[in-house]
Amino acid sequence: MIINHPLLGPRDAAEFVYLGDASLINRPDSATSNAAEQFYEYLYLRDNVAGEMRELWYHEQGDRSWLVVTRNTLTHEISNVELARDVARAQGRNR
Amino acid sequence: MSQVNRIEQGLVDTNRELKFTFNDKLYIAHPGDTLASALLANGQRLVGRSFKYHRPRGIFSCGSEEPNALVELRRGAYLEPNTRATVTELFDGLQARSQNHRGPLGFDLMGINDLLSPFLSAGFYYKTFMWPKAFWEKLYEPVIRASAGLGSLSGLPDPDSYDKGFLHADILIIGAGSAGLSAALLAGESGARVILADEDFKLGGRLHAETLQVDGKSGSQWATSTVKTLSKMDNVRLMSRTTVYGAFDHGIYGALERKTDHLASAHGMPRQVLWRIYAKRSIVCTGATERSIAFGNNDRPGVMLAGAVRAYANRWGVTPGKRVAVFTNNDDGWRTATDLVNKGVEVSAVIDSRSIEAPASVAGASIIMGTNVIDTMGRAGIHTIALSNKQTIKCDCLAVSGGWNPNVHLTCHQRGRPSWNEKQACFLPDGVLPPGMHVAGAANGALSLSSAINSGFLVATDVLQSLNLNAAKMPSVNADDESTNIEPFWHSKQSTKRCWIDLQNDVTTKDIVVSHQDGFRAVEHLKRYTTLGMATDQGKTSNVLGLAIMAEHSGKSIQETGTTIFRPPYSPVPIGALAGRSRGKEFKPTRKTPSHDWAEARGAVFVETGNWLRAQWFPIEGETHWRESVDREVLQTRNSVGICDVSTLGKIDVQGKDAGEFLDRVYANTFSTLAVGKVRYGIMLREDGILMDDGTTARMGEHHYVMTTTTANAVSVFRHLEFCRQCLWPGLDVQLISATEQWAQYAVAGPNARKLLQKVVDPDFPIDNENFPFMACSDITVCGGIGARLFRISFSGELAYEIAVPTRYGNSIMETLLQAGEEFDAVPYGTEALGVMRVEKGHAAGNELNGQTTAANIGLGRMVSKKKDSIGNTLSEREGMNRENGLVLVGFKPVNSASTLSAGAHFVTRGNAATTENDEGWMTSVAYSPTLECSIGLGFIQRGQARMGEIVEAADPLRGKSTSVEIVSPHFIDPDGERLRG
Amino acid sequence: MAELTLKAQTPLRGYSNRFGDTRLSELSDTAIYSIGLALETAPALKAIKNSLGTDWPEPGKSASSTDGVYRLLGLQADQVFVLFSAATASDGQSQQLPNLGQNTYTTDQSDSWAGLYIEGLSAVAALERICPIDLHSSVFEIGRVTRTSMEHLAVIILHEAENRYLLLSPTSSAQSFLHALETSLQNVIPIPIDN
Repeated sequence: MIINHPLLGPRDAAEFVYLGDASLINRPDSATSNAAEQFYEYLYLRDNVAGEMRELWYHEQGDRSWLVVTRNTLTHEISNVELARDVARAQGRNR
Repeated sequence: MSQVNRIEQGLVDTNRELKFTFNDKLYIAHPGDTLASALLANGQRLVGRSFKYHRPRGIFSCGSEEPNALVELRRGAYLEPNTRATVTELFDGLQARSQNHRGPLGFDLMGINDLLSPFLSAGFYYKTFMWPKAFWEKLYEPVIRASAGLGSLSGLPDPDSYDKGFLHADILIIGAGSAGLSAALLAGESGARVILADEDFKLGGRLHAETLQVDGKSGSQWATSTVKTLSKMDNVRLMSRTTVYGAFDHGIYGALERKTDHLASAHGMPRQVLWRIYAKRSIVCTGATERSIAFGNNDRPGVMLAGAVRAYANRWGVTPGKRVAVFTNNDDGWRTATDLVNKGVEVSAVIDSRSIEAPASVAGASIIMGTNVIDTMGRAGIHTIALSNKQTIKCDCLAVSGGWNPNVHLTCHQRGRPSWNEKQACFLPDGVLPPGMHVAGAANGALSLSSAINSGFLVATDVLQSLNLNAAKMPSVNADDESTNIEPFWHSKQSTKRCWIDLQNDVTTKDIVVSHQDGFRAVEHLKRYTTLGMATDQGKTSNVLGLAIMAEHSGKSIQETGTTIFRPPYSPVPIGALAGRSRGKEFKPTRKTPSHDWAEARGAVFVETGNWLRAQWFPIEGETHWRESVDREVLQTRNSVGICDVSTLGKIDVQGKDAGEFLDRVYANTFSTLAVGKVRYGIMLREDGILMDDGTTARMGEHHYVMTTTTANAVSVFRHLEFCRQCLWPGLDVQLISATEQWAQYAVAGPNARKLLQKVVDPDFPIDNENFPFMACSDITVCGGIGARLFRISFSGELAYEIAVPTRYGNSIMETLLQAGEEFDAVPYGTEALGVMRVEKGHAAGNELNGQTTAANIGLGRMVSKKKDSIGNTLSEREGMNRENGLVLVGFKPVNSASTLSAGAHFVTRGNAATTENDEGWMTSVAYSPTLECSIGLGFIQRGQARMGEIVEAADPLRGKSTSVEIVSPHFIDPDGERLRG
Repeated sequence: MAELTLKAQTPLRGYSNRFGDTRLSELSDTAIYSIGLALETAPALKAIKNSLGTDWPEPGKSASSTDGVYRLLGLQADQVFVLFSAATASDGQSQQLPNLGQNTYTTDQSDSWAGLYIEGLSAVAALERICPIDLHSSVFEIGRVTRTSMEHLAVIILHEAENRYLLLSPTSSAQSFLHALETSLQNVIPIPIDN
């Protein structure tokens, strides 16, 4: 596979390490009352998507950026690649 | 025997002779010959025995689709079985042997299988060898394996070398026939980066096999001049002898280039190169492969594909027979007859299954329309054929054409399915192609020369436009537009003899019928039940024939019946090429520690830990057992001072205004409160609350920490930290960089460690206990101004330091430290002594942090600070991870101090049976402690802390032993830590 | 007491060898530092411009100071490597990295990387055997740089000049890296055809 890196252009997937669902960005707040429940859902409950999925990939043999890759799990078509940092910020993650 | 069937020069160089042997007999051939053309030239019709029935077989085709002519090439360790003679380029001194027979090729003792054929039909493995079950492994399988099969392996390591590589192109053109050449010409002239790959050693495809004309020249001449034009373009890379064997995701193609297979010796160069080609677009110009027709004994040597017979005559100047008959269902087959007659070869008959007017006249041949061949006669080769009209015809070669199958394989490598075209009677690529792929020429149904060339130009133009490149003007080429009319005819219904479909796996029309009767009617079932198309040729000449006959029996259309899934590789790829350089010690990189050369000179024994080579112990003269060396290293360290290279630990520079905050979140304990110049031990959890890693982190400055990780987790911890930094808290001001490779770091441990280091560390940096207490750290200089770092940390439990100097001094400082330590009898120690001392001290390591254990399990539950959030903090509170009877890390001593403990033993309460139900934990690490003079262990046991002094059984049923052990503190030495603070 | 000293060694001990038309030689006397940017980038970029005389290169590009002393390799959006000569001048002094202030985070990487120059007509052909990056001069132009992997090793590759590439790979596996390049060169040197 080839991942079209937003900063570096197309790069072989062999340079990347796969993590999983991009929802891992949404780490719950441990201070909330039902934090244990939220963490359980965050860590263990995933959709098994047949179709477009947003995934986290790490460019380990490259610029060390974490990417959010939108990939169709049926066709491997990659329709979007974003810097995970930008995605996290857009989702309100900061400090 | 001289070259009795060489009729003219063709495209081989008859001015030069090449000698080769087949079954040890010497023959002559010429440059440009394949082994197949050379054998045919020399009148050798019989070249092998079939897979299952050991039937005599001859050369069937002239390309990579060949099912029959598989031979063993070369000798000794270089022997390569199952090589297709049709694509083996001849060189002087080539040695080939036929395979799959016992005794001489002409009289194979295993020919008996042919007489047993009524019992060996489709599904016979499943039906015949069902019972008794025990017979399968001992009797049936060995017998089947010995009697069925292809060539044999040398059994020796492959002496050749292989390589891999990466290529990039705008357009990869696969196949250099008429369509591929025209596409390449246009793309090349338009300035695109083009790779043109073809499996043949001569680019041009069937242009060299036909007598068709382009612009008044022979097609072969046009091909040659086009290749010459292309070779002058810097933007075009011509790759002959290169098979593109697979189309993978996102425009990645696998290709195998045969670099030296056509040479007598590889001269130490890689024999083959496996390329990974990244192409923005590809144009599949793979042409078409002819298919056969099923009739009685159609596997007899001398029965060949009509296009191949013509190719041998036109390209290689060889006639496969002196008297040739042609059997066809299409106009293309007729051209074999006319080409042969024009070369003076006798054509005895042209038999056409169609009831139409003869499309051509063939001098001297009987023209028999609306008739089919039902049987062939001749012992080791054909001499007569019998027709459905009761006529018999004499011939020593029967050229058969059942039509052409476009080579759609690559278009289907991502699960595409071709669709059946009724008019052309062939499968064509469906509209759904792998992204970026286009198809031109015969592969797309443009079967005539003129249509193929035009298709190459047209598709290239489209592709160039899709790449936003300006396409050059399409050249106008005037080429023959030969007729390709066809009426499908699959098999002779009048035939009462066995009619072969898959020649390589010995599948007949009867097997298809049996498969149908037994209910295996779907093509994928048919394939597996009959083994149709499962041989090394993947049924290139047989699959369509087989499924057409299945369609006929099941009353379905061919489209409804469909094809099996096409998978890479298109043709076999040697395992050696897939491995490339990755064999032996080149399988993976080797990482050496900064003092490796010094340790090697010192005679160290090394151990592999991941990619690292680490000194395990340093034997000295007189030591014959590793324990002697390790015990000495431990005792000398504990009694005086020892030095160990610990550079392999991961070191990560964590810098930034929020570095402390960041560390508070990734470590379970707190680091923001750590004073500059201090070190703290930290534990890191995974988000599920399980231990991820541990290590010390030093605060070198207000905004600068140096984290250490375990050797094994250096990479994964860094990745995790980057995840936290970029994905979880992008608003923290923190930067990470690995400094593992920057520093040569050495543990200097033992009561004399300070005295030793005081001789090395420059006097500006006092390291006495008051100025540099336990868990202090500092930038220092050594040996007169060389920048270094010193950490007062101890893994051994002794008064200890770790000193770090830039890696360039790694070997030198080992010598310097030992020189400084001479008066203390300082000793270098390896990872084994390091391990013994850490077990003695009760430190957890990889065996304990095994991905299943928690901070509570290793007795550090209180380190998980509840004053802050951190990764894993919340889920570490889960009930199941905090049970009262949870596992706790404790020490174990054998009751009988002479007993040896073993890691992996499981603990059971005394009196209980050693069963899973009674399991209370396990031993994780053991060592012989020279300090305590007995075997000691660390392990997890339920409620361990509350069971001090209890004696339990360490059951080790795998090694057949059980040892009584006492539960003790894991800190076997200096439990109060007085030594390391001294 | 005997004088205690330390001797420095380069990862490849000053390796240099010729393979036909192409030379492979170890990079020497070069300091390498990583420079990371604080979140607040403006003051950091200004400090770099003032002290190193060059703009911050985007990832994939390199930049040099006008006097040619410092060369920055754009490896990440927020982190670059700076290379400069570490040779000792006649006055006994050597170039040091200037203080770049509170808003950059620097780490000495000089000993972390083994450097090799590959230079000559067969350089690209040899690299094709191990480098997944498209090295075509229209794509990986002179001045381009990137981190990738070759033979399972991390490698930073800089296209320094025509047919001249600088390769940096971790010190500990320098021998494996050298072996990979030597093998690549040996595998592309043309051989005489004997038939």
